[in-house]
Amino acid sequence: MAIKYFNLRNRVFTLSIIAVLAVSCGGEEPTDNQIDDTVTEDNTTENQLMQIDGKVFSIPSPIQTAMLIKNSGTNYNKDILNEPSNITRYSTNFKKAVNLGIYGADLGYVTMYDQTQDAISFLTAVKSIGDDLGVSSAFDLELVERFEKNIGNQDSLLVLVSDAYKSSDRYLKNNQQNDVGGLILAGGWIESLYFATNVAEASGNKDIIKRIGEQKTTIYNLIKLLTPYYSKPEFTTLVDDLMELNEIYEGVESNYTYVKPTVDAENKTTTINSTTVVNITDDQLKAISEKVMKIRVEIIS
Amino acid sequence: MKNNSTILKTLSLAIGIIAYTASFAQCDTIASLCDKHITNNFISDGQDYRSLLLDDEIAEFNMTLYGGSTYRFAACSGLSDGNLIFSVYDKERNLLFTNKEYANSAYWDFKITHTLDCIIEASLDPNNLASGCAVLLVGFKQ
Repeated sequence: MAIKYFNLRNRVFTLSIIAVLAVSCGGEEPTDNQIDDTVTEDNTTENQLMQIDGKVFSIPSPIQTAMLIKNSGTNYNKDILNEPSNITRYSTNFKKAVNLGIYGADLGYVTMYDQTQDAISFLTAVKSIGDDLGVSSAFDLELVERFEKNIGNQDSLLVLVSDAYKSSDRYLKNNQQNDVGGLILAGGWIESLYFATNVAEASGNKDIIKRIGEQKTTIYNLIKLLTPYYSKPEFTTLVDDLMELNEIYEGVESNYTYVKPTVDAENKTTTINSTTVVNITDDQLKAISEKVMKIRVEIIS
Repeated sequence: MKNNSTILKTLSLAIGIIAYTASFAQCDTIASLCDKHITNNFISDGQDYRSLLLDDEIAEFNMTLYGGSTYRFAACSGLSDGNLIFSVYDKERNLLFTNKEYANSAYWDFKITHTLDCIIEASLDPNNLASGCAVLLVGFKQ
């Protein structure tokens, strides 16, 4: 199990070395400015598609965990959310991007619980940070108006919010800002894991604990998604923190059994019947909860 | 000679940048066309997966699908449906689905009973396209 973690560390290190070599192996001796250009071009080419070794990594929507929490019968808890008024603290693009992800998860959570007034506050915070990051086309006034018109229709509101985040992701990819896109995804994932660990500790709900254990692959994917930007100081801290969290996850057992899927061709539907059993100990859950809280505090402060 | 070399480098760079920008404009158009397959009964996962493909290249998308959810995958390339072949594998590389068996259907739904880590491979149908942008969109419902 430790080998995988070691490999991940090695990959981060290797990517950093490749970035350095890409700069130092040029034919003519470049000036300082040329070095900067080279680094930018290299990163642009590699990262625009969010591909590492030809692979694209996905992070599940934080709304899905909010749905699980709501369906588990857990009461609404405003205290676990990041205060919308905290946006004044976020002065760097790094902080703005990662907190845009945090607020997106919070917006999904309050929408699931039909907390209209809180939803408007979070949407306003999202719009404000979105404007600062240059993704105002995704979080525009029309979105706010449509959101207000659809209050009371939870499904429509969740579609609106998710579509806005998809538009933002699309815009960032079109404009070679995959680092910003990756941070938004990271923020959303960290916040949803924070929700889950809070509810798990308070209620001991088995479905929520299982969902926490099921994040083992996602954290690995998230680290790989952020690794290309590891040399940037703020990314270094975040990726190092996530690698420590990944180390805890390496101990979580997950046993998969393949079962043949069934197909309903007429309705274009395949049912995946394979099973996965996740075993997470109380100590692992505690360690994950503490680590996630620490990462989140660093992000929202 | 040095001047000629500089001009050639600049020209190559300009052509490269134009081709690259055009590829991404193409991705954007395809993604917008593909949106129609994620109908309103599905919630988008908020991401836009894309990869530029040439000839028989394969794009690989890694994702976790949660038990108790139904997912819709929409896979598009070019300006019409049916140009992209996509296959879903589990982490042991067992084939769970391929749209090749269903006339390259541009979308398909997956009911997930237990949480699953999967790999989606996408490639261009060589009968339709030689190169292009592959776009994968994902929606879910409980």
